[in-house]
Amino acid sequence: MKKRLSVLCFSLAALMVLPLSACGESNSSGTGNNRFTGDLESERGAVIKVMDNGTAIEKGITEDLLAAFNEEYAEYGISAVDANMDSTDLAQDGPYGYGPDVLFGANDALMPYAADKHILPLPIDQLDCYDDIDANAWAAYEQSVDGVEYTFGIPVLVQAPVLYYNKSVLPENWQNEWDDDKDGTPDMVQYMNDLYAFSVQRKESSGGKQFGVMASYVGAYNIVGFLYTYGGYTFGANNTDPSDIGHSAGNAEKGAYTLRQLASAMDERCVDESLGLVAYDNLGDGTFFATISTPDVYSLFIDSLVDHGMSQQEAEANLGVASIPALPVSGDLTDASQGYLESKTMGGINGWAISSYTKYPNTCLAFIEFASNYEMVKNRCEILGSVSARTDVAADTGGLSMIVNENLERGNIIIQPSIKAVEQIWTPLSSLFTDIAKDPYRGASEQKYTTLPKLKSALENCDQQIYNAIFTLS
Amino acid sequence: MKKISLKASTAKIADTVATYLIIALISFIFFVPCIWIVLASFSKSGSIYSFDGFFPSAYSFGSFIKLFTDTGTYDYPLWFGNTFKIAACAAVLGTFLTLLTAYCMSRYRFKGRKAMMKATLVLGMFPSFMSMTAVYLLMTQLNAVNTHWGLIFIYSAGAPLGYMVYKGFFDTIPISIDEAAKLDGATNFQIFLRITLPLSKPMIVYAILMSFASPWSDYLLSSLLLKDKSLWTVAQGLMYMPDTEFSRYAAGSVFIAVPIMALYICLIKYMVNGMTSGAVKD
Amino acid sequence: MKLDMAGTGAQRKKPFALLREICAEGDWKCLLSAFIWGAGCFCYRQWIKGAIYLLLEAAFILFFVFFGGEALVGFFTLGVQEANPWFGIEGDNSITMLIWGIFAIIMIVVAVMVAWASVKSTYYAQCRVKKGEKPETFRQTLANLLDKNFYKTALFLPVISVCVFNILPIVFMILIAFTNYGGDIVPPKLVDWIGLANFVKLFNLSEFSSTLFKILEWNVMWAVMATALTYFGGLGLALLYNKKCVKARGFFRIFPVLAYALPGFITMLGFKFMFSYGGPINYYITEAGGSAVGFLDIDAGWNARLVGLFVSGWMSIPSFMLYCSGILSNMNQDIHEAAIIDGASAFKRFIYLTLPFVIFATTPILISSFIGNFNNFGVFFFLRGGLYVDGYFLASDTDLLINWLYNLSISNNYYAIGAAISLVIFLFTSTVSLVVYILSPSYRKEETYQ
Repeated sequence: MKKRLSVLCFSLAALMVLPLSACGESNSSGTGNNRFTGDLESERGAVIKVMDNGTAIEKGITEDLLAAFNEEYAEYGISAVDANMDSTDLAQDGPYGYGPDVLFGANDALMPYAADKHILPLPIDQLDCYDDIDANAWAAYEQSVDGVEYTFGIPVLVQAPVLYYNKSVLPENWQNEWDDDKDGTPDMVQYMNDLYAFSVQRKESSGGKQFGVMASYVGAYNIVGFLYTYGGYTFGANNTDPSDIGHSAGNAEKGAYTLRQLASAMDERCVDESLGLVAYDNLGDGTFFATISTPDVYSLFIDSLVDHGMSQQEAEANLGVASIPALPVSGDLTDASQGYLESKTMGGINGWAISSYTKYPNTCLAFIEFASNYEMVKNRCEILGSVSARTDVAADTGGLSMIVNENLERGNIIIQPSIKAVEQIWTPLSSLFTDIAKDPYRGASEQKYTTLPKLKSALENCDQQIYNAIFTLS
Repeated sequence: MKKISLKASTAKIADTVATYLIIALISFIFFVPCIWIVLASFSKSGSIYSFDGFFPSAYSFGSFIKLFTDTGTYDYPLWFGNTFKIAACAAVLGTFLTLLTAYCMSRYRFKGRKAMMKATLVLGMFPSFMSMTAVYLLMTQLNAVNTHWGLIFIYSAGAPLGYMVYKGFFDTIPISIDEAAKLDGATNFQIFLRITLPLSKPMIVYAILMSFASPWSDYLLSSLLLKDKSLWTVAQGLMYMPDTEFSRYAAGSVFIAVPIMALYICLIKYMVNGMTSGAVKD
Repeated sequence: MKLDMAGTGAQRKKPFALLREICAEGDWKCLLSAFIWGAGCFCYRQWIKGAIYLLLEAAFILFFVFFGGEALVGFFTLGVQEANPWFGIEGDNSITMLIWGIFAIIMIVVAVMVAWASVKSTYYAQCRVKKGEKPETFRQTLANLLDKNFYKTALFLPVISVCVFNILPIVFMILIAFTNYGGDIVPPKLVDWIGLANFVKLFNLSEFSSTLFKILEWNVMWAVMATALTYFGGLGLALLYNKKCVKARGFFRIFPVLAYALPGFITMLGFKFMFSYGGPINYYITEAGGSAVGFLDIDAGWNARLVGLFVSGWMSIPSFMLYCSGILSNMNQDIHEAAIIDGASAFKRFIYLTLPFVIFATTPILISSFIGNFNNFGVFFFLRGGLYVDGYFLASDTDLLINWLYNLSISNNYYAIGAAISLVIFLFTSTVSLVVYILSPSYRKEETYQ
């Protein structure tokens, strides 16, 4: 009943807001339409199609969610079913009636639909979950259309690269040798210079069979934060202006230099896309000490440790998770004399959005509000091992969730752009990163990126490529 | 005299040995990647990365059992059935249309024929993915998205464009056979049905194989048109499996190859034995 | 024989000559048939045929009154009312309007063709009556459709299906090149005709030209090499398995067929992994003490090109081999036996008998294989996609034109520009292959082996 009331309240508010937004006044609670009337009665018999994330379906989360929703709202005669789709291009499917009514996805996937009005602006401040979600997370779903600011999705999960490591690989005497600041945490998961030193040592002593950190440089998402840390950025004006591309801005070349150094402590496989997959197995058997990946694969690392003979509890105790270690101000992984910078990373926010082509907007709104409540989000995060965007769930889960949410609050997670142009950054970036990763393995005379200025111009060239991809043909 | 025949027979033996050596080498080249996928499907750990080079570290039947019993998320049997239905219908329809086209182009001289031959050649040069958008739109207008018959239509409708290969074959069938039948009062339709088709068994086999195999393993078009998981084809299903399910993916791939292999083994005898020899003596 | 099949002399006249003849010789019945289809047939008592024409005309009129006219207007305006999904306002969808517009135009063309057929049939009846014969009966017409005009019956379905599912989409894409569709302008926004603006933009882009020529050079080289590999590989295998000394051919042929039975995308992803740094090939290289080889990485260059060639050969040789086996089994053995009796060596028989026959029969497939290879999207997309190399404008050194086109248009959503580029490339490649085709013996001397 309460939900129904809140929807009703909102609809009244929306009616009042509408004339205002028509005047071009910015108002984040505006929905730009009159479709959320809050009247579930009139939608009796509605069946909405919900497209959830593949892993959530596989792990049974979606099934539970749908069952719970259908039970809760049985009195209104509305229900939700699995859209039974793997992916959709709403712009292509929606208008012809083949798209889902409700979608779950990352902000960079959902938000490009906003500009063309394929997804509905939501009356977010009327929702119960409004105050429980960090403002930085909401920001990922805000966009102005026709001069008015709207919010298009409810944030559920936070994604940002973190460092996974296998504690059993730590040297016996790490408390003496590898904990200079005596804070009880190994230095190599706090400072990149120590991680580098450890990686070099481990690789050399094993004759190239064992490694410290290993990460695929093809996944630009995971490592572009190295550039951000030194002042680089993707798009100007808070990732909204695609004409200003800044991966080479500030001292970003220092970030590129540290990436090159780090690659030299790995092996050539770091230019393989498949390394990201090798990492599960090789972190589990101790071949790799650490790797960089996103929170949603936590359970895969645990599975791998269990495969290699640990019990579930042992595995959970043994798998370490940390923020990406701090990078040296000097931009040289062998020189920590000038102190450290906290690492910044790219991040994403996964959430729910409603297709504009739905016939039952009120049912959809009721559904996504239900799906974003405490129990549903908690269930999702516990099963997937993911990080909640709801601060109350994150506080109750602790561990990984706290680390990521803390970073989000501190501004160390830079949410990936929500504009269409973001699609054009990946190929140029990962081409450059694999080029940099390959560099230490080239013959001495063929190495391209030995100095900072050379890296700077490579980054500038990469920005130019992105610019070309976005603008040359438009 | 004896010496020469001895020499000839040594040459013959050498030739035979060399032939078999080359065949062995070729068989190896073609076989290795296949056997790798077969081995992977028997891998116990499920991940591709616990391999010692070429071989999995442990073997089990698990992934095959999972493939057919654990159908909650990855309903392989259903997808397999869907694909079979689509490919079989498309093969029958497509082969029929293609052979008709090829026969007409080979046996008749009518106006617009050369123009048609040139046009079909040119059509093939147009980058196919560029017309994908249009195909999708067309199918939305015909209400054929999320249906199997829509897909069958597109596959078989495109098949006649490949008529050229079969026309090349029909061109090699001596026209004297047709003329003889003509004298006996057969109509052109009868000639096609009773004489040309039976003579073309190898080509029909080839056509069926080709027009079955391409829908069978196509991914682009089916993923464009089939949205609902319960309608998917195996190719879509396999692409959907995450990399952590590699051995199940491999097992699925092995099974994809089975119908084509079966079809080949059933039809091979028509291809190996020549058939026109003896039909005409002139 | 050929002439017999093609029908009467009148039917073989060029359409324009025939039109002039009808204008000069045809009576009022012919004229009437152009407007009231089948009217002529009724005059000559061909009731069923006339009724069919009349029904067709009714269908066309209904189509244009209720639907076609609107679709035709839509073709020129491409919509006036913009949709707003937020308010559930259904506006005009420019893109579907374009499709229906093309469809309406096709229908007009068909209508003209039917009208022409109606006039022609009246004229032939007139000629027959003038010669003192009876006009063709319906039964005769039907019989002709299975005999003399069998090609019309047989080609009806293929032509219709190719027109709807192949030609219509291509025409659609060609027309898209003259609109501003793509980028930010996708439905629900309205698309407009912009004439040649896309082409002007293309020719003004200096960054394009150097990449275009580099890619074109490699593309031609690739198409020649890949086709040669497939051709000689497939032919070689077929001849090898066809040798008299080979027993159990069916068994040995299974290996290449096995390769063929695996779907392409699985093969290519499999090869990508095999040739990667972490794959089995590099595993054995490093085990043997060598250093890992980057077959497909950013520096790979010719390594990657050769791997691509190998993979493409691996995938396409088997089907070519099957085709050649079919062709070889169809070769006239008598000539060979005669040659053996005449004492020709195996080599000579191959050069003078087998090869010309095979070349003749395989030219069409050779051309289609060349086209397929020229436009081979999959190999480098799967093996080495997602990579830009220095000195190339949004492309890598293994990308073919079609991959580049994909980078430029589909992955950037610039459909109109993509369509314009593909149109330019298409004009070039189709001209070249048409010339080659027209010069080939299997086009000029189709009857050689008949």
